[in-house]
Amino acid sequence: MAIDIREDNLKAGVLGLVLALVEIIRDALKIQAFKRIESGILSQEECERLGKALMDLDIALEEIKEEQGIIESVQAVRDGLDDIVDGVIDRIANPERWQEETKAGS
Amino acid sequence: MEQEKGRYLYGVAASERATRLGPLGIEGRDVYTITYEDFCAIVHNCPNEPYQSNDEEIVKSWVSAHQGVLDEAKERFGVVIPFGFDTILQPGDEATSPDQVVKDWLKGDYERLRSIMKKIRDRDEYGVQIFYKSSLIGRQIAEQSKEIQKLKAEIAMKSPGMAYIYRQDLEKVAKAEMEKLADSWFKDCYGRIRPDCDDIVIEKTRKADGDRVMLLNLSCLVHKEKVDSLGRGLEEINNMDGFSVHFSGPWPPYSFVARAVVPVKGE
Repeated sequence: MAIDIREDNLKAGVLGLVLALVEIIRDALKIQAFKRIESGILSQEECERLGKALMDLDIALEEIKEEQGIIESVQAVRDGLDDIVDGVIDRIANPERWQEETKAGS
Repeated sequence: MEQEKGRYLYGVAASERATRLGPLGIEGRDVYTITYEDFCAIVHNCPNEPYQSNDEEIVKSWVSAHQGVLDEAKERFGVVIPFGFDTILQPGDEATSPDQVVKDWLKGDYERLRSIMKKIRDRDEYGVQIFYKSSLIGRQIAEQSKEIQKLKAEIAMKSPGMAYIYRQDLEKVAKAEMEKLADSWFKDCYGRIRPDCDDIVIEKTRKADGDRVMLLNLSCLVHKEKVDSLGRGLEEINNMDGFSVHFSGPWPPYSFVARAVVPVKGE
């Protein structure tokens, strides 16, 4: 099957992928940041700086997505990943799926 | 007709007479029945490979022909066990004729087919999808939840960085509330629909467009006398604030005939 590559198509695809990855890293960072904040080891001022930095990152990412017109393609990458992860977790968490798979494969 | 060793299977009906349905099949193929005892398989002769195309229009025309044959068969025979698109039976060796393969399969699966036939008699499949508007529900939650109101009041007094952190918390709380609500709606809607159905398959929910969230996606096996009652129940849900219902059918009961235990090419 031939793959249809147009320049704008490719750009949206690659940029979308990159931004999706950056967003995922940001989400992981956020989780860690909130853990630190909740643990109480950060001073008030440090919390404020951390919050501000994360907020600026959010705003920057939104701006880039908007400018490049890749809001949908970023979302599509993330939805696709969500589906894959859902499927994997479903298989790990439900042993009956293993049996189904073995049956289907035999 | 050297290559026409496959038998493309549309469905199985209860009839002991071999019948020709005419050139209604996929790509105008002649559709006829192969009988075993009081059952018949509705087929056309085809090469030993599945129908495949990258052209969506072509695939659509194939699927619509498949559907057309099932409709016609239902008219003639009353009950038809539908098989999925691209179910092809083929001989495993040179010695067996393709028709014999179909007969052998009907024979081997006879009891199972009989029980499916009994289950789907006078019944059709209907698709039910229920959606809610997340923005509307979000507003309602925000108005009702004390925790959310408290968080909002706190945010209003915070410096920008801290306010951002609190907003994340707020989103988490709102999401959890929404999920709790969705869970109870799911049970409520399912409970209303269940009595009108003989059987239900809970399908995976799909992403809906924009603000709408798919709450539940069901395939329902419904007796023809229960359809009106189901329709009324769904109408009530549809009239609830922020909710919408997509009701489709009647379809052949694909979801209730289980996976075909058929030697299909490629497996």
